[in-house]
Amino acid sequence: MKDKIIFKDISKTYGNKEILKNINLKIEEGEFIAILGPSGCGKTTLLKLVNRLLTFDKGSILIDGKDILESNPVDLRRNIGYAIQGSILFPHMTIEQNISYVPSLLNGNDKKRTKMAVYKWLKIVGLDESLLERYPDELSGGQQQRVGIARALAASPDILLMDEPFSAVDEITRKNLQDEIIRIQKETGITILFVTHDVEEAMRLGTKILILNNGSIEQFDVPENILSNPASDFIKELIKYQ
Amino acid sequence: MIIQIFTILFERKNFFLDLLWQHIYISFTAVIIAAVIGLGIGIFIERFRCTSKIILSIVNFMYTIPSIALLGFLIPFSGIGNKTAIIALIIYAMLPMVRNTYIGLANVSPAILEASEGMGSTKWQTLFRIKFPLAFPVIFSGFRSMVTMTIALAGIASFIGAGGLGVAIYRGITTNNFVMTMAGSLLIALLAIFFDVILNFGEKLLTKRKKGKYLYNIIIGIVCIAILIKFIVPTFLVPVSNTIHIATKPMTEQYILGEMLKELIEHDTDLSVKLTSGVGGGTTNIQLGMESGKFDLYPEYTGTGWNQVLKEKGLYTEKLFEEMNKKYQKDFNMMWYGMYGFNNTYGLAVSKKIAEKYNLRTYSDLAAVSDKLIFGAEYDFFEREDGYDALSRTYHMNFSSTVDMDIGLKYQAMKDEKIDVMNIFTTDGQLTGADVTVLEDDLSFYPSYKAGNIVRVKTLETYPELKNVLLKLEGIITDSDMAEMNYKVETMKQEPGNVAHQFLLEHRFVEE
Repeated sequence: MKDKIIFKDISKTYGNKEILKNINLKIEEGEFIAILGPSGCGKTTLLKLVNRLLTFDKGSILIDGKDILESNPVDLRRNIGYAIQGSILFPHMTIEQNISYVPSLLNGNDKKRTKMAVYKWLKIVGLDESLLERYPDELSGGQQQRVGIARALAASPDILLMDEPFSAVDEITRKNLQDEIIRIQKETGITILFVTHDVEEAMRLGTKILILNNGSIEQFDVPENILSNPASDFIKELIKYQ
Repeated sequence: MIIQIFTILFERKNFFLDLLWQHIYISFTAVIIAAVIGLGIGIFIERFRCTSKIILSIVNFMYTIPSIALLGFLIPFSGIGNKTAIIALIIYAMLPMVRNTYIGLANVSPAILEASEGMGSTKWQTLFRIKFPLAFPVIFSGFRSMVTMTIALAGIASFIGAGGLGVAIYRGITTNNFVMTMAGSLLIALLAIFFDVILNFGEKLLTKRKKGKYLYNIIIGIVCIAILIKFIVPTFLVPVSNTIHIATKPMTEQYILGEMLKELIEHDTDLSVKLTSGVGGGTTNIQLGMESGKFDLYPEYTGTGWNQVLKEKGLYTEKLFEEMNKKYQKDFNMMWYGMYGFNNTYGLAVSKKIAEKYNLRTYSDLAAVSDKLIFGAEYDFFEREDGYDALSRTYHMNFSSTVDMDIGLKYQAMKDEKIDVMNIFTTDGQLTGADVTVLEDDLSFYPSYKAGNIVRVKTLETYPELKNVLLKLEGIITDSDMAEMNYKVETMKQEPGNVAHQFLLEHRFVEE
């Protein structure tokens, strides 16, 4: 497997507070990385560095071997799916308009291609076509999350960034959505970075788990190794109920 | 009252319809420009937040300038007429537009903006596809209140010679015609309510999502096209070159003179006349319009020209006429052309009974018996420098007592024999039919205010046919003719145009 995303000596500070300290990380293509850690550990910051919503002070990030600072941020983001907390949809757009948002930015007037992408992704996330004309507030929470995923994926990116996307739904819906995202990842072979503070969710989803604490990497490994071989007391404490 | 209002609206529907269109034209020109500029500024200060505080303060400040003061500031820059009115309306419309645009855009949830940015929207795409549609309800409500406000405020446009329903209000005030004032106000209120309802309906359609949008577009389209046809097309079709622009001051007799000039010029020549009646601020503002070429001629009084326009000190008498006329030509390239004959100056009147009893003809006659008479005037006559004290000193008058009273009550008081002598204007409409004698100012205490036309020399050169028309009216109207015509308008509630027409008919200047 080739390296998809490489973090080299990444550091970031807000004022005099260090958010990320010397992060070095290699993520292979097709991996599902669950990023786990307590609030304020820097996991959301790490995610937002990838699509340049935030900037870093030191180091570099490579995607497919290319420094992300060399590409235009807008082009970069259009090739990286992005689903945030609660998968916030645009309330003034129909479901169809929401899903086709990024393709329409890319395809311009090629409406047919956009429409085909919408149908394809609607099917993949398991939603009925009858919902296309509805508005977000007419959908249930679970349906909204699915639309959020379809929207993030609609332009067929090969990286998907997700920041606690399932935090706003009930337990049963979350389980369904987790199954769904695992299936989608297998079908598409997309590389996913998934931020969560829920250990169980991370264990369920991640092919690898990245545990952050105070801006540093505590451990980066497959779930089994983390459970059998926790690298620190912090991790032992974190996984003690698993 | 209400019946009277509807009667006047019905009887003079062309007059009001014309004003209504002008009102819509003025307010909607302002609305459209203000909407575009206001949106632009709102978007700008939201994008560059550091500018928002200062710009919002400026916009707020401009909103608090009293309208009369604002118009006063603007007149030196943009002259008088529609242009200045529209600029003033735009300035007032800025506050609701800029503020609501800014607030609407600034309050879009940051999470939504981050989603948009994270998905690869450019700044403009985020603005137009996400922020703007989400801010739309707030912006639209600002727009809605701006439209209502502008329609209401456009009523002040007439104070500076612009058109619109304010003309009816102002004309009502200056000719003592309360019903006309009410009718104009009522129409403004109805117009504002009408557009508010339409916009409310439009707002509902727009926020209803889907459907309806077409209907709304169609309504907007029809309104726009109607306005375009009404106002843009005629400006292309009608040659404006041979139009004479006449202005008049906000006084009953000037409304009548304006109508008279218009009718006679259009009757005798091929010229068409655009009459701007009752320009607020009177001489000062009309003079500016004359200098800029917006107006070609207007009726003025000699004493006013001497003191107020030429800013000469000292008492004007008709001996100074030639000197004044030369100065007008030299300083302004304008001249006095066609003196009507009447003199609208201050005067003293006594009841006929008293006049006969003491055989009074002049002020000096009056002075001799003043210790037996009661003098009545509005209170400012007793305060003014050229008022009661100066008059008594000049003529050695010594009235037995004086009475302060409202200007409208003097004639009644004299009829009831509560006063024997009162101050008047020599063309007061109320003189007609009143049982009084106007005395002669034999020592020339008051300046002379003879009425005549001030005309731009250029206009006379371009349209020499105008000269004959203006000379036709020379010396034709006496003080009592003018007082009678004023009486017909103010007391009998006849239209200035009709009164002017009757006068021209009697003198066989026009036919039925």
